[in-house]
Amino acid sequence: MNDRETEQGLRGQAKALLEEGKVNYIIGYEPGSLKFTTTPLITKDKDSVDRLVISPFIVNNLSEYLTELKGRIGIVAKGCDSRSIVSLIQDNQVKREDVVILGVPCSGIIDLSKVEGLVGKDRDEIDDIVWEDSKVTITVAGDRKEFHIGEVLFDNCLGCEFSIPQEYDILLGESSSLVVDKATSREKIETLEAMSQEQRWNFWEKEFSRCIRCYACRNVCPACFCERCFVEESEPQWMAPVPRWQDNLMFQVIRNIHVAGRCTDCGECERACPMNIPLRSLTKEMCDIVDDLYHFKAGMDKEAAPLMTHYETTDPEDFIK
Amino acid sequence: MWQRTLGVAITTPSILELKALFNLLSSYHNMPDFGGGQVTPESEWEPKLLGFLCRWCSYAGADLAGTSRKKYPANIRIIKVPCSGRVDPLFILKALRLGFDGVLVSGCYPGDCHYQTGNYRARRRMAITKKFLEYVGIDPQRIQASWVSASEGGKFTEVVTEVTEGLKKIGPNKLFADER
Amino acid sequence: MAGSKKISKEDVAELLNEWNQEFDLFIPSKDEDVAKLAKWDGKDTSFLDWYRNTVVPPKANFLPSMEEMFHFQKDKEGYHIELPSSNGQKQLIFGIRPCDANAMAILDKTFEDAYEDPYYLSKRKNTVLVGLGCTKPYDSCFCTSLGSSPTDSTNVDLMLTDIGDWFLVEAITDAGKELVAKAGSLIGRATKADETRAKEAREAAHSKVTRHLDTKDIDNKLLASFEAQDFWEEIAAKCVSCGVCTLLCPTCYCFDISDELVRDRGARFRSWDSCSFPVYTKMPEENPREEKWRRVRNKVYHKYEFYPINFEVIACTGCGRCIRQCPVNWDITQTLEKMQAKAQS
Repeated sequence: MNDRETEQGLRGQAKALLEEGKVNYIIGYEPGSLKFTTTPLITKDKDSVDRLVISPFIVNNLSEYLTELKGRIGIVAKGCDSRSIVSLIQDNQVKREDVVILGVPCSGIIDLSKVEGLVGKDRDEIDDIVWEDSKVTITVAGDRKEFHIGEVLFDNCLGCEFSIPQEYDILLGESSSLVVDKATSREKIETLEAMSQEQRWNFWEKEFSRCIRCYACRNVCPACFCERCFVEESEPQWMAPVPRWQDNLMFQVIRNIHVAGRCTDCGECERACPMNIPLRSLTKEMCDIVDDLYHFKAGMDKEAAPLMTHYETTDPEDFIK
Repeated sequence: MWQRTLGVAITTPSILELKALFNLLSSYHNMPDFGGGQVTPESEWEPKLLGFLCRWCSYAGADLAGTSRKKYPANIRIIKVPCSGRVDPLFILKALRLGFDGVLVSGCYPGDCHYQTGNYRARRRMAITKKFLEYVGIDPQRIQASWVSASEGGKFTEVVTEVTEGLKKIGPNKLFADER
Repeated sequence: MAGSKKISKEDVAELLNEWNQEFDLFIPSKDEDVAKLAKWDGKDTSFLDWYRNTVVPPKANFLPSMEEMFHFQKDKEGYHIELPSSNGQKQLIFGIRPCDANAMAILDKTFEDAYEDPYYLSKRKNTVLVGLGCTKPYDSCFCTSLGSSPTDSTNVDLMLTDIGDWFLVEAITDAGKELVAKAGSLIGRATKADETRAKEAREAAHSKVTRHLDTKDIDNKLLASFEAQDFWEEIAAKCVSCGVCTLLCPTCYCFDISDELVRDRGARFRSWDSCSFPVYTKMPEENPREEKWRRVRNKVYHKYEFYPINFEVIACTGCGRCIRQCPVNWDITQTLEKMQAKAQS
């Protein structure tokens, strides 16, 4: 996805949108301050858009910012991101006419922690990461190692079904093939599903003992747009701010239930977690539950009613006495 | 006669019944200690079931069971909600966190909801909550839902009996205890 | 330096076991690939191979993420309050990096200020710090811009410098000297050649720090930007107001206090809090830092302006955790450079 032409195209479009007054803000990606990273660029300035990039490292879900910015916004969106935008439109948090979606067909984003694991080095010790066709070449101290691209993409990318944005105003670049590896994408969940009930609970107790309640998971999630989150409620206080594993687990479980039908499996929560808690093993499971029960995938149709405000008279109720 | 109040905040609950009930119930012998669940000896244990009953149908049904002198296990403690759609899965999980062994949400039959659509929302919420919590590692028998109409005193007693028996079989909720 | 000593890396396990008899000994360890301090298990020194720095800073051993302050019971006579039992156990942190040791000295100023915090200070008093100089600073490190270096021994009791198969060992304080004495023959004399290698190692580590920030007179330069709302709105735009930077910062110390009650008994806990959280300054009547740009501005000024005004030291040691862990790569050094450029213009 390292296409110079696409990048130039993006910069041109973004600049035009600002110059013509069609948007107040452009949200995209620019090079980060650390090697192989990108960072959100949120700007009103038409010259700043020259810094916009498209690369295999554009990891953030920028729709996160739509609920806090006022005015019309031009936003760069990958497949999963565009579904988050549609989900926000479904929830009436964003008006369709207030966003100009600059769609970017995406073949997958490189997970730097997987790269680090493969070469046994930290990100800043790696010289270069080059993706060509289905191979990625990682250079460390002049020594080049080749891997199949499927070994370094994020798990949710490996399970992606919608690489072309569902909804867009301008499509940048051509679609390229997806690397699909549904087995790997669901591997951690399969492992959990194979465990006994007690083993699963023990697993989550252990994982959530590391949680420090930084709320990075919640704050990077576009589906978490409540102005006052239940976790900060003090009358009544559902959980203390004290990071006990019981309350950490309860927080995450309820958060998942609250965003059911809005979560698009962008994987940002898991990536943002500084304590490596496998949050996607919860979020993806919820996406699957919702699909199984109601044949619903978040953010597919901006006219559709949100999952949990909608109902059918034929909804399953075999579990109800 | 207290010497100091320590400036401990007495929060004014906005959900009065919920808070009052939770506090009241802390006097029962296996109420957890601000942390996890304390467990009493096996021989003494009786499951504690929390019921969210909708005011128009299920609560009335429970009332009818009482006035008809129908017997049902005293393990259930009831919180009246205006509609089953009022129940946020947060309440269910909080109840389990506090040490309840099971939670029952009961409402009007689909199509009969006093507020038209509340129970349809509850149906969707309960469905995903049960499945999700099962995946996380909570026995699905601890989270139950039922439709009980105002005239179904008998059904209410059956539901409570069945759920209570189920809880007795799976044992006390030690999920959130500090020592497990 | 006269009287320097050294220890073979192969003898480190034995050394730790020796010290473990008297101290609760903490070493860098990995929990699901998250590096943090953990109790020494008696044998695993593999951290010597992978250790650069921990994700969770050593402040967690002095200001834990959750800490009981006291518990109480109420009966007819009133409230009975009890402090949590403490065994006065001594603590040894092995392998603390200079940035984190400097951070402890910065935190001390707050906790021994007008009110002496007994929870923090009792732990601090009972702890010895064995520093380990860095050989591989991160690209996010900038300790050298804050008057320190990857091998700075100012705030440790004992300092180890990596010289290949050995560590050079220098006692910095009396407590450090005692540690050396306890080690007996495990710690031997260092030669002139060893000292030269150590000097070279220090210079090499220093030169590997590639991130630089001009902090000379920075507090004066920052004043110019305080009122510039447009500037701060732009700087703050990509921040998502989570607490990662502050909770993982070795010099951040904000905490929340909550009481937990169950009928007649309860406890008061403190736990980590963050000025980045939107509700941090929320009060019934108003929230002075409702807008995100105010919170971001506050964080920068607290560290680089207000803390220096109050305590004559910048509340940042250049450890780089905030840059590494931020989910959106918000970088304080970039912000400070922009502020300095603004002051120039």
